[in-house]
Amino acid sequence: MAAAVQPMHDGPGTPTSRWRHFFWDGVLPESLGLCFVIIILSGFAGTYLVAEYLWKQQVVGAQRAETEALAQTLAAALGTVAADEQETGATMLQACGTALEQWRGVHVRALRWTAPDGVLRFSWPPRVPLVAGVPTGTTPDAGAARSSVVTKADVHSRGGAAFGTLEVETTGGVAGARAFVLWNWGIAAAVTLVVFVGFYHRLRRHLRPMVAIERNLHSYASGVEQELLTLTLSESLGVPARGWNRLIEQLVDLQRRLQAAPAAGAAQNILERFESATFRRLVDRLPHGVLWVGENQCITYANAAGAAILGRPDGLVGAALAEVVDNPAVVQTAVAARARAASGLSVDHTRGSGEQESTLRFRAVALADQAGGGDVLITIEDISQLRESQRARDNFLYHVTHELRTPLTNIHAYAETLTKPGFDDEQTRKECYNVLISETQRLARLVEDILSISQMEVGTARFDVGDVDLLRLLRQMVQDNLGAADEKRIDLTLSLPPKVPKIRGDKQRLCVLLNNLIGNAIKYTREGGKVQVALEVAENCVRIGVTDTGIGIAPADQAHVFEKFYRAADDAVQAITGTGLGLALAQEVARLHGGEIHLQSELGQGSTFTVELPMPAAEHGPLAREPAEVTTR
Amino acid sequence: MSRVLVVEDDPHILRLISMWLERQGHDVREARNGLAARELLRAEPTDVLVTDVNMPGLDGLALIEAALAMGHVRRGIVVLTNRWDHGEIRDRLAQWHVHVLPKPFSPARLSELVDSLATAKDGDSPSSVVASEPRPSGSG
Repeated sequence: MAAAVQPMHDGPGTPTSRWRHFFWDGVLPESLGLCFVIIILSGFAGTYLVAEYLWKQQVVGAQRAETEALAQTLAAALGTVAADEQETGATMLQACGTALEQWRGVHVRALRWTAPDGVLRFSWPPRVPLVAGVPTGTTPDAGAARSSVVTKADVHSRGGAAFGTLEVETTGGVAGARAFVLWNWGIAAAVTLVVFVGFYHRLRRHLRPMVAIERNLHSYASGVEQELLTLTLSESLGVPARGWNRLIEQLVDLQRRLQAAPAAGAAQNILERFESATFRRLVDRLPHGVLWVGENQCITYANAAGAAILGRPDGLVGAALAEVVDNPAVVQTAVAARARAASGLSVDHTRGSGEQESTLRFRAVALADQAGGGDVLITIEDISQLRESQRARDNFLYHVTHELRTPLTNIHAYAETLTKPGFDDEQTRKECYNVLISETQRLARLVEDILSISQMEVGTARFDVGDVDLLRLLRQMVQDNLGAADEKRIDLTLSLPPKVPKIRGDKQRLCVLLNNLIGNAIKYTREGGKVQVALEVAENCVRIGVTDTGIGIAPADQAHVFEKFYRAADDAVQAITGTGLGLALAQEVARLHGGEIHLQSELGQGSTFTVELPMPAAEHGPLAREPAEVTTR
Repeated sequence: MSRVLVVEDDPHILRLISMWLERQGHDVREARNGLAARELLRAEPTDVLVTDVNMPGLDGLALIEAALAMGHVRRGIVVLTNRWDHGEIRDRLAQWHVHVLPKPFSPARLSELVDSLATAKDGDSPSSVVASEPRPSGSG
């Protein structure tokens, strides 16, 4: 039994519940039982004293009334008799004293007739003095003294002559009545006390085990006692204590078994959790597949994702792992994990081909702490997208390095040439310097393009947004490309409407977009061809079209021309220097401006790239008032 | 004086190689792509073939196949490529025992290599030339 009685920190909070707890939960009989008995006995004593006092007041009052009435009657009779003969009066009083010893509940104890001059005429009985009268030196009975009443009455004749004063002393039945009250009260108190003590003992016998259990629970909850065995109770507390002890024994036994077989206990615990509805829902909602594989390599449990990934929505429980996954390496991984009690062993399994190809990563975790046995948990992760991302990243790096090598090769070769004797003539040196400058610029542009597109793709690009005057921007772009068009005798024209609203955007990025489209059009248009740049204002957007009469794009290539580093395998395309970044960069700029680029092309006939940039109503702003113009080369 | 056919689609590289080899006293012929080079080879054999791999039209690998089939390369073949890390290209080049110079390459190293091939003893065929281990920088 727990030795310590803990304060009830977490006991009832409200006053009502505290009092209820105090009385109802057995705290009173357990801790204050003796005090309560003392209070009860004190109550009995108090009630006795009050009852005796009230009774005494009533009895003495009645005695006094009777004594006064007797005194008046005797005085009247004595007045009548004493007028004739004084001795007759004494005789009468003598007779009355003897006769009226017991009269109407009172006892006449003494009579005393005193003449008007104060001379005692008669006293009965002669040897007993009046209490109120002259002391005789004799101690009266204590009980009688407490109930004595002395009353005086004047003695008159019928004629009005005064014959002195008559004093009558009576004693009542106070002592006897008091004993009666005491006996009755004592019997009632004794019966009440016996009943209470019996009830108290019975109540206490029932409440003691409950109080003890409650103490133990408080001790356990507060952390004072953590050993279950210390929480057992004495069997003498009765049936509740025995039941409590049985419960503690079962808990101790369960605890001992769990400690003896931790792995089996943990596995059983986890399995039970898996089987619970909550954990089943939780595990079923995991994006990764989860398989529970027993020692016989059969699946004991599979979550919904696992069944879906492995194409067995009807369930996997009971199936052999080798039957479900057509890859011996997966089974071997599970075996190895069990044999080594390892976690984190993984194997990738590729299935399908072409567009249906997917790669699954199986990770095996042994559940037993000791190698050589136990169940294995296998998680399945579809890493197809991860693989695709890695492939795209590798492809990107491959193309980047390839594109960087071309200008680097020129720079390296021409720089080395400058250092060699025999190449130091003025013309050769000038030629080398020119190539170095142009290739350095080419390298810088390439690096800038790669950085720009990478930053825009990951969202770290910095944009300087402001009002962009498209009329001015397009005229500048066309002007910048006039030289390249002139070299190939290409007719570069610009067609603009009279009014074009300014749009919100990054002017430099839009320059890159338009320059790439116009530059591509010139680059892939044969000599003597045409390139037309046109702008039109639609309801919610502006459209910038770049149309050329160039080599065109095959339908199979049209879906890929906006991919990074993509260049058509066509010889006509390959014959022209390019990185395959221009259109990808242009599309990214359009996308980040909320727009898009459309392509219409026919192989051998030419292409039209149309850029649509949004123009929200709030952004219409001041219209750029420009006259219609057509810039012709 | 040996005849050297240089095939390269980058005009700057083509110009530089020609300049170096001419100053070494070689008779240099230029071609901007594989198709043009094949026509030149068909019309006239060469001592040394210096070619790029990635070219429009007929690429360098197809050009080497055609040259070997024609037997119109007398001394040796030098391949310039920036795709030496490409497995397929590497395997195909290895089977022909050609000399490979990864880009960026050293023009001096190329010039030395062409000189050594051009001065090889008569009767050496391109297939007998041991492939040189490419060096990342190609210097020297």
